[in-house]
Amino acid sequence: MTTEATSLVRRPADSPPGAVSRHHYRAMRFVTPYLLLLPAAFLYILFIVYPIFKQFDISFYNWHVFPGAANPFVGWGNYKEIFHSPEIRTAALNTFLFIVITVPIQMALGLFAAALVTDRLPGRGLWRALIFIPVVTSWVVVSYVFAYIFADQGGLANGILSIFVGHTVHVDWLANTWTGNAVIWILSIWKGIGWSFIMFLAALDGVPRDLVESSRVDGASERRVWRHVVIPNIRPTITFVTVLLFIGASQVFIQVYVTTGGGPFDSTGVLLTNAYQQAFSFFSFGYAAAIASLMAVVVLAMSIVYIRLMRRGSNS
Amino acid sequence: MRVLIAFSTLVFGGAMFGLANTGASAAAKLKVVTLQYWNTYNVADKEGYTMEHVVIPRFEKLNPGIKVHSQYVLYADLLPKFIASSAAGNPPDVLRSDIAWVAQLAQEGLAVNVGKLKGFAAIKAESLPGPLATTQVNGKYWAFVCDTNTQALYYNKALFAAAGISGPPTTIDQLLTDAATLTVPSKQQYGLGVDGTDIWNMAPYIWSMGGSFTNANYTTASGYMDSPQTVTAVTSLVNLLKAGDIGSDFQGGASAVSGETGFPKGEYAMYIDGPWAVPTYQGANFSDYGIAPFPSGAGGSVSTVGGEDNLVAADGHHVADAEKFAEFLDSPFAQLAMAKQGDMSAIKTDAAQEVKATPYYSVFTQQLLTAKIRANSPGYSQLDSDWSNELGQILAGDVTVSAGLQAAAQEADQALAGS
Repeated sequence: MTTEATSLVRRPADSPPGAVSRHHYRAMRFVTPYLLLLPAAFLYILFIVYPIFKQFDISFYNWHVFPGAANPFVGWGNYKEIFHSPEIRTAALNTFLFIVITVPIQMALGLFAAALVTDRLPGRGLWRALIFIPVVTSWVVVSYVFAYIFADQGGLANGILSIFVGHTVHVDWLANTWTGNAVIWILSIWKGIGWSFIMFLAALDGVPRDLVESSRVDGASERRVWRHVVIPNIRPTITFVTVLLFIGASQVFIQVYVTTGGGPFDSTGVLLTNAYQQAFSFFSFGYAAAIASLMAVVVLAMSIVYIRLMRRGSNS
Repeated sequence: MRVLIAFSTLVFGGAMFGLANTGASAAAKLKVVTLQYWNTYNVADKEGYTMEHVVIPRFEKLNPGIKVHSQYVLYADLLPKFIASSAAGNPPDVLRSDIAWVAQLAQEGLAVNVGKLKGFAAIKAESLPGPLATTQVNGKYWAFVCDTNTQALYYNKALFAAAGISGPPTTIDQLLTDAATLTVPSKQQYGLGVDGTDIWNMAPYIWSMGGSFTNANYTTASGYMDSPQTVTAVTSLVNLLKAGDIGSDFQGGASAVSGETGFPKGEYAMYIDGPWAVPTYQGANFSDYGIAPFPSGAGGSVSTVGGEDNLVAADGHHVADAEKFAEFLDSPFAQLAMAKQGDMSAIKTDAAQEVKATPYYSVFTQQLLTAKIRANSPGYSQLDSDWSNELGQILAGDVTVSAGLQAAAQEADQALAGS
């Protein structure tokens, strides 16, 4: 079979004017992919790369976002302040708790649901849709819905509690540190299960059926089948889901901002609500940028470590 | 071919004629300036409706060529949205700003120095001193007063009668004693409701008991926020809380019920609130209550000045027209129209008139005479947050009153210095 390329290469030297020379062809072949990538690369640099570098830049200044304002250089001052702030300690703890609680539960429930739905469950499509629907809903909308459910006055949660207790109950769920945090965790898990479910569903569909069946025929228990056949086969998906959920969880913001607003006394605040407050209430844009930059470095580092550990585990 | 040429000419000519007409009308439209007015007037109630359908049309009639678009923004979103739009060089022309933001926005260079305007002197002379002070930073005026309010003492007449108390407390000592007398744990009835630890809610108690938050220039908190008088004032409230005489709203937390919710249900016998609570109670058919000036203590009867100011954006596209509109909002027509909807006038003569139309304003206008403004400093938001968080720790028993207030004062010093 002769390709267009070989026909061009074999074109004689006395080919008519206008024909593409070999040199020109090679140059075009080299340049074309980059030309095609250029629009996307331009947008990527403009909206992703530049803001990231700008954010790091801003974090070293007492920055004013307003045109014409002077921005004094403060060096590592904003970063030093982070390590001395009690609010940041609380926010970091809440962010950490959010990650360690919501990520494993989302993964476990997502995998569990995917395992159930793959096994010839009647109405499989319907179940898929029902589990996935929360993913496509708006964070703001569902956060408000949860805020109403857990409202102290007329909230559904208090209504149900009142029925069980036998008298009217007024629990201000969102104004207490632990109940407020719990509501945020429940909301995030409920909304996030669908995504890990779909990921695991696709991964489980890719597990060789004959391998699973032959293991069962050979007498392997269901637990052993999962441990030695299924899990190793979906390990890349587990890594992928973990890393993305970890990155997403570290950026928790909307649900906290809408439901508790970080209160009471900043006790349910997370790193991004703190950064938002610093920027838009106290106008400390440099400090807010330092928080965001530090978060980016930590999350990136932890993601890299986790991926390497998983690769090492996979190779061994 | 001729038909084609004729047809093309017709189409081309028509298009050019249309374009010319559009251009002419566009030119005419260009002469009309549309101002953007961002505010928190709720469009769902009469307040927003009055601004859009009564006040603005009147201004537009008086100022042909200027249209005003009133944009409702959620309170929580208003400041971030204004900052973002200002950073992008596209702020609204006029912002109805919380009085607590004016100093911050002025320091950032986002507000026009309206003190230099010709019409400002007359408005300044007519403005109530408290609201006027909220517009002043470093000796210059950065906004027009818009509306004002303050908090007074709401008391439940039936609960007072049941406890054998003839009338509302007039002194702080009476307030503390009455709070204990009016508390009935078996009925989940508290003598006093305090709606939070932030300065807006705490200041009447602190100031009236002789305490303070900062010095007069708002440059330092140490020696004021942790002064013996402030410690005594906070200790009085902490003791009431420990005795179970203050309701759950003070600390927030599980089962906390706000003053406005708990008061008509008899959960709180007394609490402080602004004039906006009256329409709420009217709507709920609750009328067995009275409103009295905040009780006097060592510092007098001192409440907090609240309200909004109208700020002209320095980077707005139509600054001169925006100044006209902001000035108009202080006219008797605009002030009295909005006063009918719950926005107390910040202009002396209109404030006197509005009491005739709305008698329950009289207590609040009386209270405004001694009301103080919160720290008029760019660092106020941070200071308020520091104070509130430390108070939370004091109420939780994590730190002593004096230690907590010292910590709050040190943090507040940084906020004021940083500003």
